[in-house]
Amino acid sequence: MVAAVVESRTTNAPIISVDDVGVQFDRQARHRGVRELLIKGRAGRTTTTFWGLRHVSFDVQPGESIGVVGRNGQGKSTLLKIVAGVMLPDEGSVTLRAGVAPLIEMTGGFVASLTVRDNIFLAAGLHGMSRETIESKFDEIIEFSELGKFLETPYRHLSSGMRVRLAFAVVSQLDEPIMLVDEALAVGDQPFRMKCYDKITEILAEGRTLFFVSHSAGDLKRFCQRGLLLSHGRLIQDGPLEEVLKTYKTLPPNGQ
Amino acid sequence: MDGPLTRTAALWRKRDVLALLVRRDLKVRYADAILGYVWSVLDPLMMALVYWFIFATIFNRNVGEEPYLLYLLAGMLPFRWYQHVVTGAAGAIKGERLVRSTALPREIWILRSVFSKGAEYVFSLPVLAVFIIAYRKGINWEIIYMIPAALIEIVLATGLALLLSAIGALYRDVDRVMHIIMQFMFYATPIIYGLNNVLDNPKMPEFLKVLYAVNPMTGIVSLYRAGLFPAELHLEMVLSSIAGSIIALVVGWWVFIRLEPAVLKEI
Repeated sequence: MVAAVVESRTTNAPIISVDDVGVQFDRQARHRGVRELLIKGRAGRTTTTFWGLRHVSFDVQPGESIGVVGRNGQGKSTLLKIVAGVMLPDEGSVTLRAGVAPLIEMTGGFVASLTVRDNIFLAAGLHGMSRETIESKFDEIIEFSELGKFLETPYRHLSSGMRVRLAFAVVSQLDEPIMLVDEALAVGDQPFRMKCYDKITEILAEGRTLFFVSHSAGDLKRFCQRGLLLSHGRLIQDGPLEEVLKTYKTLPPNGQ
Repeated sequence: MDGPLTRTAALWRKRDVLALLVRRDLKVRYADAILGYVWSVLDPLMMALVYWFIFATIFNRNVGEEPYLLYLLAGMLPFRWYQHVVTGAAGAIKGERLVRSTALPREIWILRSVFSKGAEYVFSLPVLAVFIIAYRKGINWEIIYMIPAALIEIVLATGLALLLSAIGALYRDVDRVMHIIMQFMFYATPIIYGLNNVLDNPKMPEFLKVLYAVNPMTGIVSLYRAGLFPAELHLEMVLSSIAGSIIALVVGWWVFIRLEPAVLKEI
């Protein structure tokens, strides 16, 4: 972690800035009017709209590892999507000063009818890796995913565990300074999970920034120093992870 | 919200990814099928043969030009490209899982479909060449018009697909409606008959001739056919196509940008 501290001192600008972000959802899709969406850019004020996130602001310094805590439906995934840039805020802004490796929905880039080999080149290429980089990292990806015998097997013949292994092996090779991790990572068997944990620890040791969403206090404590607690779409606590987890335990179920 | 210039620059930076997506589409299309290439040609060829049989043999055809089969193919192949992009547009964003995990400029999913369907069109051109040789049909210098025709078609298809992909992600009906509209448009565009059959027809009301001019595909198809059938070419129709295609791109892109936040919440 020494490297991370040094880096955060040398760079003054935060690597992620989330400024007064709000995301509005509509419970009933039928009430959506195209005219209002076009004119105002979002659905009008109907009784069925609610804010999935609102007035959320925080900065992340390079090398920090952030754990996002909250019960189901309080805005964790929405926040992760906003930071990943796969959802756009209705209010406020998100500024990223470095590239992102999104370890969310990792299997999305894989094509069922193509072989494992083809899929590695395609998925890594889609995430911005050059052909030379992929070639140089190919053996490492294969070794990590333990799919050496299945290189010419169509992706659709892989088990779901194999698919996640392959996806993690590819996405974790991305050289981006920011890494976003969803709890979806918690699938797979125990030995593979340990391997993933080791890989993430290794990446963190390089001074990269981690943004981690999980329900598991154990996983959060393993990687994160700082916690963000979300309740009803509001950021109610931002501080050392231990304290955030303490508050989280006192929250009633579903944040009522 | 970024403007068109910022967005174009972002797309240009991701051109390698776009090329990769197009290659992937083509690979997937031909990966499992033994007759891979044959399938993409067989469908338009069968349809052309059916129309040729019905109109040249059963009906006493007096529309289009000779050889009629070549006339059909020269119009049907580019129209198929357009038809596939526009009918598939509703699912171009909604059906793509990668939209949920990668922050690529969202226009890339539309361009990817325009270009991979475009590549299939190019791959079908040898069939046209075979019939040109078989019929010993002479080619005029206007054959180079196929290039501007393809460019105008790219602009038009991209504009409409941007519009429909955004609306189609919000409303389910778009998909079905577009299938019906495109079937209608196939007959409403001079493909199985010629533009001259419309313009020179004394029974044709003036307002219908205007509607033909408003349909950008009218001028585009005539431009594609000009190398083989120069009498089909009407410059004013082509100008109208250019104007219509640019309008489609401006409006489609504007709607796409405005609806993007709402669309991303839906998928």
